[in-house]
Amino acid sequence: MKPKRRAVPGISTKRQPTVRRIKPAIRPVSRAPSIVPAAASRAPAQVEPALDAIGGRPVSMEVDLGGGLVLANPVIVASGPFGYGVDVAGLVDIERLGAIVTRGTSLKPRGGHPAPRMAEVPAGLLLGVGLQNPGLEQVLERYATAWARWPVPVILNLCGESTSELAEGARRLEGVPGIAGVELNLSCPNGPRGNAFGLDPQTAANAVSAVRRACDLPLIAKLTAAAADVRAIARACEEAGADAISAINTLPGLAVAADRRGPALGSGYGGVCGPALRPIALRVVYEVAQAVSVPVIGIGGIATLDDVLDMLAVGAVAVGIGVAALADPMLPVRLADELADACRARGLADVAGLVGTAQPAKPSPSSSRGAEYAR
Amino acid sequence: MRLTGAELIESREILAGTWLQSWHAPAIVSGARAGQYVHIRTTEAGGLPLRRPYPIATADPASGTLTIQVGGGTAAAGAWARSLRPGDRADIAGPLGRPFEVDTRSRHLLLVAEGPAIAALRLLIDEAVRDARSVVLLYGAATASQVYPTSLLPDEVEYVVATADGSLGHRGSIADVVTEYEGWADQSFASGPTRLLGAVARLAAGRRGRLGVATLGRKRGGGRPIAPGSPEARRKSFLQVAVEQTVACAAGTCQACAIMGSSGATQRACREGPVFAANELDWGPE
Repeated sequence: MKPKRRAVPGISTKRQPTVRRIKPAIRPVSRAPSIVPAAASRAPAQVEPALDAIGGRPVSMEVDLGGGLVLANPVIVASGPFGYGVDVAGLVDIERLGAIVTRGTSLKPRGGHPAPRMAEVPAGLLLGVGLQNPGLEQVLERYATAWARWPVPVILNLCGESTSELAEGARRLEGVPGIAGVELNLSCPNGPRGNAFGLDPQTAANAVSAVRRACDLPLIAKLTAAAADVRAIARACEEAGADAISAINTLPGLAVAADRRGPALGSGYGGVCGPALRPIALRVVYEVAQAVSVPVIGIGGIATLDDVLDMLAVGAVAVGIGVAALADPMLPVRLADELADACRARGLADVAGLVGTAQPAKPSPSSSRGAEYAR
Repeated sequence: MRLTGAELIESREILAGTWLQSWHAPAIVSGARAGQYVHIRTTEAGGLPLRRPYPIATADPASGTLTIQVGGGTAAAGAWARSLRPGDRADIAGPLGRPFEVDTRSRHLLLVAEGPAIAALRLLIDEAVRDARSVVLLYGAATASQVYPTSLLPDEVEYVVATADGSLGHRGSIADVVTEYEGWADQSFASGPTRLLGAVARLAAGRRGRLGVATLGRKRGGGRPIAPGSPEARRKSFLQVAVEQTVACAAGTCQACAIMGSSGATQRACREGPVFAANELDWGPE
């Protein structure tokens, strides 16, 4: 006699529908991807015929920015578009990002510039927000607990008007849970002469070393392309103890008001950002990656996968998405996915295989000689 | 807020360089209120790498269509509007921002607009006419050829025009006409360049004094405090303004649309606005 099928409470006797495991395009952070035994790494590939069809092995997307800061993938949201991240956390899968850099934060609160703060320029925009922020204490109080819960590293963009203010800010960040690193904004004005830190190697080195002494967090120096010789600045930052370099910040620009009676922005000058900045950013990253041995994060007008691949090719190990993330907050996550696919399509086991492919065989002359004479 | 792919139904050039676009976007239309805006990803070759904000000019829940007025701004936006054909699709986010609040007791609404900013008041006109309120629309433009066509307005609206060169209606700024109607109006709504809004806001601030309105009643105009930025603060305010401010992120993160508030703190046009009670903003020196 056939055994009677008994209904067990909570367990269906029906056949469970086969659930196809869909692996996220980006692998979760695993500390040692290379020591996974071959059999183990083949096993998931069998579950995913789609990946197998294009010869897909798991791709290591991890990026080591130095100082113990390892990103799950090379796509970072640059300082600005996501603010402090909490407003977009409900909208975007932030855990699939490499990192989030906060908006510029100073030790003391800053009210920012008068309106208007934004103007359209060809292939970009001009921003003169004036680093409006509620001050470091307030920022940490409001957001640090949320950051500590997020799996994505949050890098605080630190700015200040003097070396001592930067150092004091860095000291305040030391040991705060939720802060994965510091990005030092070298475009801030410095002292009585009012020039940005990043225009002069010695001033830049002073700022970086002051912050270095003040905290042990991974330290990224964010360069400005306004400097005459970015290589000298980058080298000075590296020697002063920066774990990584990010390039570039916005470039000073101007737009004219509709009535032509003055500048369009309340602040007069603004920072040019968007695709207009891309060739400049590529040039700076190309130069800086040759000059330093620390990792370089490329930022400037990146909006598509091709832009990301270009930036990696000139020597950036990671990319920062700026203005493009304002128009489309989902873009950084999508670019990370597309980048992983691009690696698979090229049969690369590691995203590092895309980095520096456009670098010259022997060091190129500095662009400070003038573009037409650089060869 | 909803993010949706919308389809262009119709695009009409209502004034030289200004298009009235109808989009089929039922998800956005269903919750839209007067004063709110949509954020559109325009496709411009080498143009703005941002979405563009447009006030919802009209919204028809029955057909799921909304109209926006494009142009009057930059050449890039005009080129995009010119290139669009019915059937084209665009990525639209909305409805965004805080709406106008009309007091249920207000019978007479005074609307003041200049140039393309009339779009921000257009839906309010429809709602007021539907609710049988009297509407006077004061409209300012540079010249007669730029005056918003009467054919696009409901018949119930009293339409007063001023042009800077005197080619149609009053000569000069539309703000000069406001005093003739301030005694009649229960509530007032304005949209336009900051210069106009500032002028209208200063008039509104001195209105009670000019009209000799006494603060009567048990509360003597006091009563419980109203939270700034709340719908009630706008509803109780004689003048509400919709600011024209380029909005970059519309999520409140970038601070690019911030304007100075009367409390000394900045207000984001994208989140706290675009509609404000006039006394919530700092209009600066005259």
